Amino acid sequence: MVGVAFDCLANPLGAVRVTFEKAMTSKTDPKSLNGKDWGAIEVFRDFLSDRETLSQVPILDHSSIGWIQPNSLVRFRGLVQDMLGNEFYVGAYKDGSTWRTNKFTDVASFPMGSEAETSIWERQLLYCVPVPGQNTWTVQRSSQSVVSSCNNWSSQHGEKRQREDAMLEDHMVDQELQGSTSSSKKMREGGVSGQSSQLQESVTDETSGKVCTIPDFDSKYLPCLVKLYDSPESDYKLNDIIEFVGVFTFNPELMAQGDGSTDLSNELFEDALAHLPPNKVPRLHCLVHRKLANHDFLLGSPVIEITPNLIRKTREALLGHLTTVLGNDGLAAECVLLHLLSRVIVHARVDSAAVGKLSLNLTGFTTESYNVFGSQLKSAVQTLLPFTKSVPFSVEYLNSVSLAPRKDYETNRLVSGVLQLAEGTHLTLDETQLKAGMLNSIGVENARLLNNLVELQKVEYDFQFYKMEMPTDVQVLILSEGKSNILPADLVLPFQPSAVGSSVNAGTEALQAWRWYLATLRLSAHDLDPDMQKVIEDDLVAARQEDRSLGSKDFSRWLSMARLISISLGESCLTLEHWQMAKELERRRKERLNEMKK
Amino acid sequence: MDFAAERDLAKDFLNNFADANGEAKYLNILQDVSNHKIRSIQIELEDLFNHKDLDEDFLKRVMENTRRYIGIFSDAIDEIMPESTEAFPDDDHDIYMTQRMEEDSEKPENTDRHQRMPPEIKRFYEVYIKASSKERPFTIREVKSSYIGQLVRISGIVTRCSDVKPLMQVAVYTCEECGFEIYQEVTARIFMPLFECPSNRCKTNKTKGNIQLQHRASKFLKFQEAKIQELAEHVPKGHIPRSMTIHLRGELTRKVSPGDVVELSGIFLPIPYTGFRAMRAGLVADTFLEAMSVNHFKKKYEEYELKGDEEEQIARLAEDGDIYNKLSRSLAPEIFGHEDVKKALLLLLVGAPHRKLKDGMKIRGDLHICLMGDPGVAKSQLLKHIINVAPRGVYTTGRGSSGVGLTAAVQRDPVTNEMVLEGGALVLADMGICAIDEFDKMEESDRTAIHEVMEQQTVSIAKAGITTSLNARTAVLAAANPAWGRYDLRRTPAENINLPPALLSRFDLLWLILDRADMDNDLEMARHIVYVHQNKESPALGFAPLEPSVLRAYISAARKISPHVPRELEEYIASAYSSIRQDEAKTSAPHSYTTVRTLLSILRISSALARLRFSEAVAQSDVDEALRLMQMSKFSLYSDDRQKSGLDAISDIYSILRDEAARTNKMDVSYADALNWISRKGYSEAQLKECLEEYAALNVWQIHPNTFDIRFIDA
Repeated sequence: MVGVAFDCLANPLGAVRVTFEKAMTSKTDPKSLNGKDWGAIEVFRDFLSDRETLSQVPILDHSSIGWIQPNSLVRFRGLVQDMLGNEFYVGAYKDGSTWRTNKFTDVASFPMGSEAETSIWERQLLYCVPVPGQNTWTVQRSSQSVVSSCNNWSSQHGEKRQREDAMLEDHMVDQELQGSTSSSKKMREGGVSGQSSQLQESVTDETSGKVCTIPDFDSKYLPCLVKLYDSPESDYKLNDIIEFVGVFTFNPELMAQGDGSTDLSNELFEDALAHLPPNKVPRLHCLVHRKLANHDFLLGSPVIEITPNLIRKTREALLGHLTTVLGNDGLAAECVLLHLLSRVIVHARVDSAAVGKLSLNLTGFTTESYNVFGSQLKSAVQTLLPFTKSVPFSVEYLNSVSLAPRKDYETNRLVSGVLQLAEGTHLTLDETQLKAGMLNSIGVENARLLNNLVELQKVEYDFQFYKMEMPTDVQVLILSEGKSNILPADLVLPFQPSAVGSSVNAGTEALQAWRWYLATLRLSAHDLDPDMQKVIEDDLVAARQEDRSLGSKDFSRWLSMARLISISLGESCLTLEHWQMAKELERRRKERLNEMKK
Repeated sequence: MDFAAERDLAKDFLNNFADANGEAKYLNILQDVSNHKIRSIQIELEDLFNHKDLDEDFLKRVMENTRRYIGIFSDAIDEIMPESTEAFPDDDHDIYMTQRMEEDSEKPENTDRHQRMPPEIKRFYEVYIKASSKERPFTIREVKSSYIGQLVRISGIVTRCSDVKPLMQVAVYTCEECGFEIYQEVTARIFMPLFECPSNRCKTNKTKGNIQLQHRASKFLKFQEAKIQELAEHVPKGHIPRSMTIHLRGELTRKVSPGDVVELSGIFLPIPYTGFRAMRAGLVADTFLEAMSVNHFKKKYEEYELKGDEEEQIARLAEDGDIYNKLSRSLAPEIFGHEDVKKALLLLLVGAPHRKLKDGMKIRGDLHICLMGDPGVAKSQLLKHIINVAPRGVYTTGRGSSGVGLTAAVQRDPVTNEMVLEGGALVLADMGICAIDEFDKMEESDRTAIHEVMEQQTVSIAKAGITTSLNARTAVLAAANPAWGRYDLRRTPAENINLPPALLSRFDLLWLILDRADMDNDLEMARHIVYVHQNKESPALGFAPLEPSVLRAYISAARKISPHVPRELEEYIASAYSSIRQDEAKTSAPHSYTTVRTLLSILRISSALARLRFSEAVAQSDVDEALRLMQMSKFSLYSDDRQKSGLDAISDIYSILRDEAARTNKMDVSYADALNWISRKGYSEAQLKECLEEYAALNVWQIHPNTFDIRFIDA
């Protein structure tokens, strides 16, 4: 197999052919191979099982597309944005007396007679795009030889995004840039000019850019059409982040199809593929794929031994960092920490809130404090989590933007919306810009969508004839002046900064540790033993007897907080101490809420 | 494959198939076709399956190579087509045909294939092979490449439709040189027209006869393209609905429009490529479904067709004695408790038969129910669930709908400038259920629009030159909050409910669902939340709820029955009614308005109960249950002012203990249990002791001297 290994990288189709011929010599009926692997995928799985070899596979992106040879092995990391259904192709055909296969390729490698005996197989088409909201630092540096000559596309992409974000911020900041001492200022330098006029642009660019116009290869944004073979449907879902390793194909003679075609079948129903010509959207015939999570995007993840001590230390440091970012508001920092660790454990079956989420609403932002702390917090979150997105909230925005993805039957494509986000994305909703105004029907619909997202962690995709609810797992942070009524967050906390943060820049090492801390602990398992269960039940009943206004939502929040506190300390089981801590946190929060009322 | 043999098999089937009544089904159809009454011949696979001399291989071949067999069946039909028995006016097609037949017979021996008349042009019928409807239809996702060429049945929603266009089936040319008619059969969507006369005469003479396409003589077929998409419930979690192209021909065109939920049977075929696309076609094939039959999904109980094993399932359920509880529990199984409310809702779904008196007066059979309660007691969710279960249901909120929106609106048609009526929610819910949430927040004027619907079950319109009445035979399910948002215990029920008596009396049942400070409920809630957090899933329900489809099937079966009230029960019902009237007369502040309508309500509820039992007659138990439900619905109002109304603590404690003991069916009650029960209702231990002593003195129970355990003395 060593000999084959070399081929895998430069000539993967050769390896496919070799294995197919081998299967044929053992008298397998080619028709029985439909939907089955004859050993080709196994070869690649073996080949790629080593991390080192995997990193040698070049990443397909806008810069590498120029020099990557067609029919070579490439990698693509992206979000499954749309599923274009299945495609039927001639999987095997008889060339004279020998069977040939067309699997993992667009064109037959040998001439195919028109009367040849064929066997039709099928494959799935997935339209994948770069993950929305991916941050600069998650850029993967593949092996030096590969990246040396060119820039990594996602770095540029990320930078652009941050510039865009920065521009948005700038708009809100108005002309008061000078006062800011935050680290985000550095990122902002790229795009200070003409901020206000660009707001609309950048917003539409962000939303519609990935929607209808599929840019040329040289754009910063490179989608990919993945052809997936023989994968059970449970293997991949919409909005999954998946790394595909497969054969990159490019056939100029196929490009011409679709233009000027008078074919009747295209008259009414446009082929979705006609909108995705191969010169704009590269094809990738997937051999091996794997689902990625947040921690796969950490670079050089420290392979340190997880000791409780280390976790506690990291927690302290991170809490300290957040406290500084938030102007010495320790309580807010604690809430933010829990919020950053939260994830949806389960989507309840009925119309009740999703379990495990902890959306946070920091209130009390004035224009001044927002300029300082709001942007500071946003950039802090950006440096900590791989995927972040910020949405400024204004009446005009709500009335114009399309938040939910919808199906366009003209092109037979799912048109993406702002809320089509990968699992584990952090979403900052900035309500400080919201002024009194009229919402039109789009605005009302959008407000409802956001409400559903925050409360149920579900986004309704519009299929015109019916709506489909897609479960999401998005951490929602809301910044507002008063308590946000449009977006009912789990935790509402009046923000009380006491000091303008000194330096909030953190060292790379510290940042890496924190990223690792957040990404790893977020997914850690957690349990509740029966004794604790009893204690909690009694506590809840007692609390409700005392205060009738407490509902199931409050209880659910308490339990989530307790779980997150426990997780943040690296524990896998809830103890009484954590429960008490959660109650104490809740008490302090209530106290502050009451203070504000006075 | 031996075509002649296959054709004989087909012929044999068409000639000899006898349906359940012994009629020669297909020969009758052929006769109708011959008489130009119908155009389509639908061959049902099920008939093929039931045919007495069935060759199983033949059936399989038909299923797997359907397109070829349509041709074979057509050939067979050509041979056995009977003479027409009725006169029908000739159209130009027939004139052409007679002429051709004559020419045809004149010709010596047709050797030229282009000159031979294709059988297709003579046919004035269309042959379809319909898939068996026994099994569940496929979802689009399940149609895999292995089904290419086969007959499949799928369900989906139509998303797009093209215009109906003519599709050439046989092109007919005439040659200027030799004068012959030249035929060209078209099988694909694209064809290359002929330019030179291919006839022998022209060929031998080398005249290169110029030929002209004769549109009048050619045969065209109506053709429509549509796209269907998977139904939302068939899409796996986290996936996108798939779609499929459908080709509809001839009689099947104009049967669907976007938004229709349909079930199709058809042949799954690859698109044959021509020209440039053939290059790509070498590797990738587009597919479509050549439709063979189109069925719209039925949305009414009356038209509900039982599928496959459902009949059996219903029979099994009907035998099970506990069907009433089982069905009611399966309504909104995720919502905890509210057993009686769910029972009432089940009866609303079942309804009672409509009665039409001799003088034309109608008495409604639909039950109307109003749920009233504190915010957050899952009223809206109950409503939505009921709408989901009902085959025809409209959900609306009082705030969002005006009186016009509920009943009907007169609008001017923008094209014709005529006045047209547009039905509102209540009219749309005709023969179904209309759920109105936020009933209390409706404008008074809008609410009055409902009065007529609720009793007369019609909507009368008299505006803009249109006076008419529309049917609105719908059951109204309303949900409302009490007058001050929350039920105020210090006020009377009438004040809290705050709906006019005229409206209230129209509801058969009024439920008050209150969020009471109840230790049990709190604990239940706490347990539920902790469980969900702990186990990452909702707790098991403790029973297997029936699928909504089964519920629907059972209810539709029950609705077919119209039970009558036996004579001997009349007296019983009358006395029950009069006693309710008496009770009401006694109290100073009546909680309900007992009128003749109440009597009708009792009858309706009892009939619905009888329907549930699949019984043709109402039994006394049905009446008892109806009375109990009405009592319970009132009890939900009474219970709160029980303490206020002077019922003393001691006797209340006694009734709590007795009820609990009766519930557990035990004669012994431990002191600890007793203390638990009464403390939940807010009584102290001292009061319990007092009660124990007092009733022991009355010899109702015995008290254990040391443990204070209670033992009831059986009367």
